[in-house]
Amino acid sequence: MTHYIIRRFLLLVPTLFGITLLTFLLIRLSPTNAALIKGGGGEGGGKAMTAEQREQIVKFYGLDKPPLVAYGNWVGKAMRGDLGNSFADHRPVADKILERLPLTISITGSALILSYFLAIPLGVIAAIKRGQVVDRTISFVVFVLYSIPSFAAALLLILFVAGGDYLNLLPMYGINSINASEMSLFPWLWDRILHMILPVVCLTYASLASISRYARVSMLEALSQDFVRTARAKGLRERVVILRHALRNALIPLITIFALELPVLIGGAIIIESIFTLPGMGQLMFQSLDSWDEPVIMGITVLAAVVTLLSYLVADILYVIVDPRISYE
Amino acid sequence: MTMPLLQVENLGIHFGPTVDPVKAVDGISFSMQAGETLAVVGESGSGKSVTALALTRLLASPPARYVSGSIAFEGRDVLQLREGELRSLRGKQIAYIFQEPGSSLNPVFTIGYQIREAIELHRPEVRDVTAEIVHALDTVGIRNPASRLGDYPHQLSGGMQQRVMIAMALACQPKLLVADEPTTALDVTIQKQIMDLLKDLKRTSNMSILLITHNFGLVAGFADRVVVMFRGKIVETGPTAQVLQNPQHPYTKALIECVPKLGQKQHRLKVIDYAGIQ
Amino acid sequence: MNSISLSQETYTQRLWRHFHADKFALNGLRIVILLFIVAALAPFLANSHALIRVADGHVSFPIFLSLEPIEWRFLLYVPLAGLVYFFRHRFIAHPGIFILAVIGFIAAVEIFLALTHPINDPTNDRDRPASFKLLPPIPYSPIESTPDQFSPPTWKHLCGTDSTGRDIAARMLHGARTSLSIGFVAQSIALTIGIALGGLAGYYRSWLDIGICRFIEVMDCFPPLLFILVAISLFESQNNMFYIMAVIGLTSWTGVARLVRGEFLRLSSLPFTLAAKAIGANDFRIIVRHLLPNALGPILVAGTFGVASAILIESSLSFLGFGMQAPTPSWGDILSDARRYIDFAWWLAFFPGLAILITIMSYNFVGEGLRDAVDPRLKMK
Ligand SMILES: Nc1ncnc2c1ncn2[C@@H]1O[C@H](COP(=O)(O)OP(=O)(O)OP(=O)(O)O)[C@@H](O)[C@H]1O
Ligand SMILES: [Mg+2]
Repeated sequence: MTHYIIRRFLLLVPTLFGITLLTFLLIRLSPTNAALIKGGGGEGGGKAMTAEQREQIVKFYGLDKPPLVAYGNWVGKAMRGDLGNSFADHRPVADKILERLPLTISITGSALILSYFLAIPLGVIAAIKRGQVVDRTISFVVFVLYSIPSFAAALLLILFVAGGDYLNLLPMYGINSINASEMSLFPWLWDRILHMILPVVCLTYASLASISRYARVSMLEALSQDFVRTARAKGLRERVVILRHALRNALIPLITIFALELPVLIGGAIIIESIFTLPGMGQLMFQSLDSWDEPVIMGITVLAAVVTLLSYLVADILYVIVDPRISYE
Repeated sequence: MTMPLLQVENLGIHFGPTVDPVKAVDGISFSMQAGETLAVVGESGSGKSVTALALTRLLASPPARYVSGSIAFEGRDVLQLREGELRSLRGKQIAYIFQEPGSSLNPVFTIGYQIREAIELHRPEVRDVTAEIVHALDTVGIRNPASRLGDYPHQLSGGMQQRVMIAMALACQPKLLVADEPTTALDVTIQKQIMDLLKDLKRTSNMSILLITHNFGLVAGFADRVVVMFRGKIVETGPTAQVLQNPQHPYTKALIECVPKLGQKQHRLKVIDYAGIQ
Repeated sequence: MNSISLSQETYTQRLWRHFHADKFALNGLRIVILLFIVAALAPFLANSHALIRVADGHVSFPIFLSLEPIEWRFLLYVPLAGLVYFFRHRFIAHPGIFILAVIGFIAAVEIFLALTHPINDPTNDRDRPASFKLLPPIPYSPIESTPDQFSPPTWKHLCGTDSTGRDIAARMLHGARTSLSIGFVAQSIALTIGIALGGLAGYYRSWLDIGICRFIEVMDCFPPLLFILVAISLFESQNNMFYIMAVIGLTSWTGVARLVRGEFLRLSSLPFTLAAKAIGANDFRIIVRHLLPNALGPILVAGTFGVASAILIESSLSFLGFGMQAPTPSWGDILSDARRYIDFAWWLAFFPGLAILITIMSYNFVGEGLRDAVDPRLKMK
């Protein structure tokens, strides 16, 4: 097993190289930096910069050096966790990202877990009732959910249930109420949960829809297998046949789906955080894009890509663990 | 005359549209005595598997439609049983072995677990289930059974997988074992081993066996009686020796001729001439 | 002769029969076509200029005079539709090349038009006196401010108005054009890249395959929206419609490439390809005449789903303020307005949200129907 994991890790290296190279090229090719390389003022990108910022960029990305040397230096620094300093407040980019990370992880994480918990029963029920009214209803609703853009849903939810002229059940913005600092632990926690409901719901329903579609197909596939007939022939209850024999098999491919959902969720989190003004990575990203805080932008991009890459790796390893047929030799 | 173990009367099973259905089983009747071995022979698609699965209503309805007849097992009509009663019939009274051992075993559970499930379900009185599993595996000729309990199906060869299926079927000491083409998916030497195993079981226990096959070669020396099916109907039935030596129906003759005999030169592969039948 | 053509159903006919039997897919296709018609005719459906105006004994057609070059595109599509109809029998014979040609033509027109900029004509015919005038059903232009600010939906403004009194119905109709053409062109770009790279990898294999696969892997690691946001911001000064199409296209080709690679790997070892090689056909000919047409079904399926996601990305970008520049109307742009007045202006969120939902859903239904028709084994029903 360790052998397999080590080998998979080594296989990451070329992809990691590709990710960093692509990001680096993107930086170097940007009109701003292209202008800087030529010794110009860097206004090519349409973003005004101070002389000090210009100097920082040149130094950090080695724009005054040949591309390969510059790339090597940058990767070397990035590997040591040095992603440069933010233009906005001169703090290390890594620190800025790290303090935003927990919130983003918690909302994407809860959305992912929640969508799995809801999607699998939905998919299983649809598969068992294949072709019947229940199946067709679930499939249609899921299809509609799948097609609703999350930002439109977020806006309408805010409008109708969070303040505004209609229902006022949930808070509209932020991660806590203004007076949260005066609350004791449990009211504070409750306040936080109330604030998280809408963002998590908006992030959940789309991946719920796609996971439940996978779950349905996967379950149908499992139910059509011969061993299901064997289990029934043994005299097992239908519930056991479905939940133990069929579902165990259907879950195997579903485990890897999370890796496919993750990039989508990260993209979704960017929008959702900006709508609900949550101080996560997404919001940091927008602030940086607005003020052209280049080191932060690049830091977040590389980080997101690396996280996605690692989630593919985790999915692969999980697959080997849960499926006894695959040996990792 | 004692009550037969199994009595199928005028059974009809249809698929597809009601107006012009696929009559997979079209009004068949046969019976089996306790301890008897019956072979059902017929070509592919003649309705053998459908009949076999119908014995415990394993064919889901829909898509199947049980349109006529009755299946009396020890006097009780299977077609009238409730779901719970059916479950205590399956595995406990009537056990199955299927054609494809590879796909009939669940790939994500160990073979030990899959046998244990059957024993715990139908024989709650057994104290030492593990010993019982080992015993079952030993009976079907798996060497060193105790060390095999934790194996997954894919770690076994096809022949061993089929032995595990048999062990699982036998573990609950059923009165009737339905073997639906148990050797078709295996290669020839393994086929012989499995058939020898079934013969042994037949000798040592009082279990009835319903052997389904399209190969008359397996029937001789194994079954007491033969039922020949053709397009959902029974075209001939009788004691094995009689049917083999003196087949009445042209289809039966054709089927028997399909079996290559040892020591006899085959100039051409025999092909069934449907024009001559009916 | 007749009996042969009756019994021998071509691949395309079989596809169409399967597709036709799928109610959702068929209605999805109808809605998509309707949306395209609405988009093409948007200037005649929502315009502040009259279709016909009679004043002082003169008859004039103000709407035609006010049309911007970008709005003349329907004139290109009428002959296109004619051509398609005229050559429909050839279409049955060579559906692959035919479909690609039509897609290519539309994409070219849309790209060309995307490079032009809209002009604003402030006059309107609603208030101008005339002895007779025929106004479009929605007598407002999408970039025209009226004194009615924040009007909820009324008979006068069917979908309400926004903060500067612009008619939302008019903006929605013209926004359909933005969404559809960005979705279409972006996906055409993605298809082109995907087919080219996937085809190379699948046909030539060896190191080319390894390299391209690695590249795909790398691209797939970037969360799509994040990547696009960065790319768009980097080159912000050139922010026009074509630019957005290109960025979306350049970042969403990996799915198609994987698919084409798989299909080409499979097809290039089949007997008909080997036979073509044996008679000395060159690689280009084999790819274009043999492999591509045979892989076209799955490609079209992926392309249809791709258009849906490109439309979604475009509206996300506009919503976030990174998409089309004002005053070009876009559904996402209306939604981003909604964000500012979220406590009461539900119509600003509801109508564009619904429009995006219906469009994406229709495309997805068409995609599912196509997929089931292309490969009935995968049919999930
Ligand atoms: N689930 C089903 N749906 C529709 N038709 C079915 C179904 N199961 C069986 N049939 C039909 O019933 C007929 C009999 O099938 P059956 O499986 O009993 O044949 P068989 O004699 O066991 O053949 P084989 O030797 O190939 O196993 C076939 O014509 C088949 O098409
Ligand atoms: Mg069978």
